[in-house]
Amino acid sequence: MNDLDMRSILKCVRCGTCRSVCPVFDVIGWESSSSRGRMLVAHGISQGLEVDESVFNSINTCTTCGLCEQMCPSGASPVEVIENLRHQLVLKGKMTAAQKLLRSEALEKGNPLGEIRERMAWLGDSEKDVRDKADYVFFAGCLASYRYPELTKRTFDILKNFGVTVMQEEVCCGSPLLRTGSDPSELVSKNLEQIKKIGAHTIITGCAGCFTTLKNDYPEDMNVIHVTEFLAEHLDEMELKKLDLKVTYHDPCHLGRCNGVFDAPRQIIESICTLEEMASNRELSRCCGAGGGVLKGYPELATELSKKRLEEVPDNVDYLVSACPLCCTNLKRGNPKIEVIDVIDLLEMAMK
Amino acid sequence: MKKSYLLKKLQEIVGNERVSVSSAELYCYSCDASQIRGMPDFVVMPASTDQVSKIVRLANENEIAVTARGAGTGLAGGAVPVENGIVLDMSSMNRILDMDLDNLQVTIEPGIVQEKLNEILEPHGLFFPPDPGSSAMCTLGGLIANNGSGMRSVKYGTTRNYVLGLEVVLADGTVINTGSKVSKSVAGYSLTDLFVGSEGTLGIITKATLRLRALPKERSVLLASFDDPEHAGKAVVKVLSSGIVPSACEILDRNIIDAINTYDPNISLPQAGAILMFEVDGTENSVLEGIEMIKDSCSDLATSIKAATDKEERDEIWAARRLVGAAVSRLDPLRTRVYVGEDIGVPIKELPGMLHKVREISEEFDLPIMTYGHIGDGNLHTGMCIDVLSDNEWDKLNRAADKIHRTAIDIGGTVTAEHGVGSARSDYLELELGKGLDVMILIKKALDPKGILNPGKMGV
Repeated sequence: MNDLDMRSILKCVRCGTCRSVCPVFDVIGWESSSSRGRMLVAHGISQGLEVDESVFNSINTCTTCGLCEQMCPSGASPVEVIENLRHQLVLKGKMTAAQKLLRSEALEKGNPLGEIRERMAWLGDSEKDVRDKADYVFFAGCLASYRYPELTKRTFDILKNFGVTVMQEEVCCGSPLLRTGSDPSELVSKNLEQIKKIGAHTIITGCAGCFTTLKNDYPEDMNVIHVTEFLAEHLDEMELKKLDLKVTYHDPCHLGRCNGVFDAPRQIIESICTLEEMASNRELSRCCGAGGGVLKGYPELATELSKKRLEEVPDNVDYLVSACPLCCTNLKRGNPKIEVIDVIDLLEMAMK
Repeated sequence: MKKSYLLKKLQEIVGNERVSVSSAELYCYSCDASQIRGMPDFVVMPASTDQVSKIVRLANENEIAVTARGAGTGLAGGAVPVENGIVLDMSSMNRILDMDLDNLQVTIEPGIVQEKLNEILEPHGLFFPPDPGSSAMCTLGGLIANNGSGMRSVKYGTTRNYVLGLEVVLADGTVINTGSKVSKSVAGYSLTDLFVGSEGTLGIITKATLRLRALPKERSVLLASFDDPEHAGKAVVKVLSSGIVPSACEILDRNIIDAINTYDPNISLPQAGAILMFEVDGTENSVLEGIEMIKDSCSDLATSIKAATDKEERDEIWAARRLVGAAVSRLDPLRTRVYVGEDIGVPIKELPGMLHKVREISEEFDLPIMTYGHIGDGNLHTGMCIDVLSDNEWDKLNRAADKIHRTAIDIGGTVTAEHGVGSARSDYLELELGKGLDVMILIKKALDPKGILNPGKMGV
């Protein structure tokens, strides 16, 4: 454990404020599943606590949503501690089967989903619009490319009108590896190389996980924006019609709380229809439950977390809108009766 | 062998999912927010009184310790199993059993969180007044077992004032009910009062009937700045003597003011040697009158007086004050708030003197001591932040805390006004209580002859 982490662990006064906000603790209820518990476990490991399954579960059930950090009165950084701890354990070969699988799939196949299909197949007839050189690159991300190909094509079809291109050989941004303690540098280099070749000054992505990784974990000083930020700037140019809908919006943690992008998605929504906020929103928004490797490693927990988040959907809304394919995926798992769509889906409806 | 036998028995009582012996869980339940440590052998999360009774009976028969725990937010080690054994995590017994609102009462299980109860009561215009800084996470069981209070105790008193009756599991597993639903009763010894504040040493609280109050219609907040804490202390004596009872009267010293301003950039408290935060609640007229009376009382001593302009400002100031105990850690990246010697109480008249003594102790040990707390009821929180990796600083901190405790007792005060004795302060009870401690020990022996209930606490 490095000195910085130890200092951060020691910042925790165990006041328990995080118990009142940690969504995972709310579901599991045992102390080791709260941020305070995880900080204690981290401290324990530094003092020789054996890393067994219970320790793994404590450390790996964190969605890295960062609400504890937002609320922590004493200024501790549990997410940083947990991610670093995961990394150090992985370095010692200590990881769960889910972590191993994520890593091997991402490194071998370029995506953590284990997909061997052609990644860029979503382009379809838009392949002809891909340029070799451009100022802007759209980074689609793994989940969007494989699980939401139509949405991804729609996004690109809007973006290409503004001179945006894509990478021909995009691979996973590295987020799933970083969040679960593995080294993503191989993937990072592959993406960086292509970005340089295209000569882009700005990367646009529609995924909150890709967004925070490209923005904060890539070594180069790149301008990274979320697709909602880009489109909010171009709303006047898109001829949108008003829709008689009432929707609510789920802030993806890694887009909102971790990077401060709250207004752009709301601006797009409000230019189209009525927005009614969820019970918790913006900085205090509750996590969907998928992040930090939880959906992969603890799918049942992820479902419970999703259900809790869905309890905060206001009555009588037509759609729950979000701005991240991972959030959308997990929110759909929580209650099939609630229609979950991406901001781009809503935009598409208003463009027709 | 014995451990595996007990584990099997515990699993039979509560089911496998509600017992943990995992290394992560045992480690996490080995402490609270104090410096006290003790490793449990089992953590059990009971779901009913019957289960608690069976667990305690099993522990009694096998002479192993049972330590009840709410949210583990205690500051004295009250929920730490210093003699190992079973930790009973009561937080999943969190139902409201009866909302008897016409009688201004509610019957609850102990695991419900204070703030959750008040969220449920608010639409009915009622509230449960004791409001510790930890109200967002602490359980009512913990609050009752510690007779906790908080910022509004100057007007509303402590938890004890709101407990009408309890269901308690005794050391042999017997379940008793104390008190009643009537607001006054002199039938017998007040067993309710015995269990309130007994920190789990006499029985395990499994139900409580609580008295509620109507939410005040209005609230207003006033900040008065002073050159130093001693002047603020004098102003408090003057305000309370004037006949007004503020709903809160808090002191913040210079370091705490900095901590709040650092914690929440939206707040900018005046730069002063000390600030008194007054809150007055009641009807519109009584609040206006109260604020005027406080202004008058403070005018000779304060350097400035300012009222919060709107509800948002008032709520924000109050929220920041609530978290300041931990937020003082933010002032220096290398220092952490350590809760030792942090909860003295002195008679109101002695406040200015005690504040002066704290400053002297701070200088003597060359250790910054921040002072904040519920000065309106004589309760001072003395906050010390140290580099917890330095043995020398620990030594200074412990010596300073000892002196603070002894000074408080010398002037007729207490070593703990609301945080509890636990293991952290049990050594001072003889000094503070004298022969009274012998009576406590007799009571403990009568109710828990084998000493299984939270051993190593409260000097018994």
